[in-house]
Amino acid sequence: MKSLKNHISVIIPLFVLLFSIQFTFSIKNIVEGYELKLIEEYSIVIVSQKPLEESVIKNKVAGVRSLTPISSKNILDRLKKDLSSQNLALLKVSLPNFYSVKLDRLPSEEELERITKNFKSINSITKVETFVKTHTKVYKMFHFIQVLSYMFAGLILIISVLLIFKQMKIWLLEHQERMSIMTLFGAPFWMKSIFLYKLGLIDSFISSLLVSLLFWYVPKRDDFVNFLHSLGVEVYSFEIFKDTLTLLGISVVFSLFIVTLVISKLNNR
Amino acid sequence: MEHVINANKITIGYGKDEPVITEVDMAIKPHEFVFITGKSGSGKSTILKSLYGELSPFSGSLNVCGVDIKNISTSNLNLLRRYLGIVFQDYRLINEWSVEKNVMLPLMIGGFSKGVSLKQAHKLLKHVNLLHKADKYPMELSGGEQQRVAMARALAHNPVMILADEPTGNLDEYSSELIWDLLKNARDHLGTTVVVVTHHIPPTLGIDYKHYFLESGVLYEVS
Repeated sequence: MKSLKNHISVIIPLFVLLFSIQFTFSIKNIVEGYELKLIEEYSIVIVSQKPLEESVIKNKVAGVRSLTPISSKNILDRLKKDLSSQNLALLKVSLPNFYSVKLDRLPSEEELERITKNFKSINSITKVETFVKTHTKVYKMFHFIQVLSYMFAGLILIISVLLIFKQMKIWLLEHQERMSIMTLFGAPFWMKSIFLYKLGLIDSFISSLLVSLLFWYVPKRDDFVNFLHSLGVEVYSFEIFKDTLTLLGISVVFSLFIVTLVISKLNNR
Repeated sequence: MEHVINANKITIGYGKDEPVITEVDMAIKPHEFVFITGKSGSGKSTILKSLYGELSPFSGSLNVCGVDIKNISTSNLNLLRRYLGIVFQDYRLINEWSVEKNVMLPLMIGGFSKGVSLKQAHKLLKHVNLLHKADKYPMELSGGEQQRVAMARALAHNPVMILADEPTGNLDEYSSELIWDLLKNARDHLGTTVVVVTHHIPPTLGIDYKHYFLESGVLYEVS
């Protein structure tokens, strides 16, 4: 019973720590996915008197992913009823070139201003439409979600580190007597500390397994998937081997660091 | 080695300004049975602590089993302690460990295998009539039983010297006799040196012993 209590008291803070780390990773992935979706839906329209080369534009304006010509056929089709074919032909010749510009990532307001300025510095471009109002609204919402999620993950991380340090103090009290008795009988350093290292390693393994199972199972639940889809967010897939190994590595390093800290404190007493 | 303990004008205490024992001389030969008596608070336990290196003398020289305690390194102190059997007044058993594991402690530290250690622990527990409680935990035992476990632990690895602080302080007459018999046996059959700190020497001991009496921080040899 006591042994189980010993394990649980280590597993819980380690679990919370790993959960917060994996949660941060997942949020980062979800936010990046959401950003990609937003950027796919967002484009700038530019009007140019001369045809534009994508490579030239990419060199002059940083952050441009693609430059796609917008066909003037649709505009001309709509005017077919009202204009004669002769006038239509004249209009076709005099119409400027329209382009849709996709960006690498969702720019901030300042970045958008810079991009607009760069476009306008090209002589042939007469008009740049960034749909700034829509963009700003979306960008602010996106930024708000991002900040909120990182704050939440950061808060959990702080709580878990505090829990681990609290546990460390309990360890100090719990093992001080045992280690001092062993010292009086001439036990070498490794023998005195092996118990804590074992505890740290076993509990690291258990806690990383538990967190992995949780993050592997939850994205497989239909209600969770439907909820994320309703928000227009793609589900982050947990890579069971890679991500479990990462979590195990983090938890082993962290618990061994804490155990070493506890043991060196006990040795100095 | 002529003397297993050789103290020359040692002063010991818990702070430089608070010496408990002042300029004490003590010479104990191998296989001797030694009593250190004195009133409560006279510093008997302090002397014992210096013998197993928990306290280092402020001044003078102290040699235990040929090792200078004042200038001993941590690793050498660990080695020295593996040759000693210590019985503490407050038992100092590891509460999270079973009785048999507590007795196995000095054997495991000495590098014996688990099987050998367990066998020896059971043998000692049988000697102190506690074999039936081998798998119990110290908190489940009475004070007297814990004292007997502490004695079994001190004897488990056949130490060169036993340092016992009030080993029968909490025991009834029967258990006390058992402990004295074990200590006499260790001295007579294994050649162990025995140093016992106690309030009084049992009158029916029936062996030759050396007696030191401690008063006001000064140690007198009683002839």
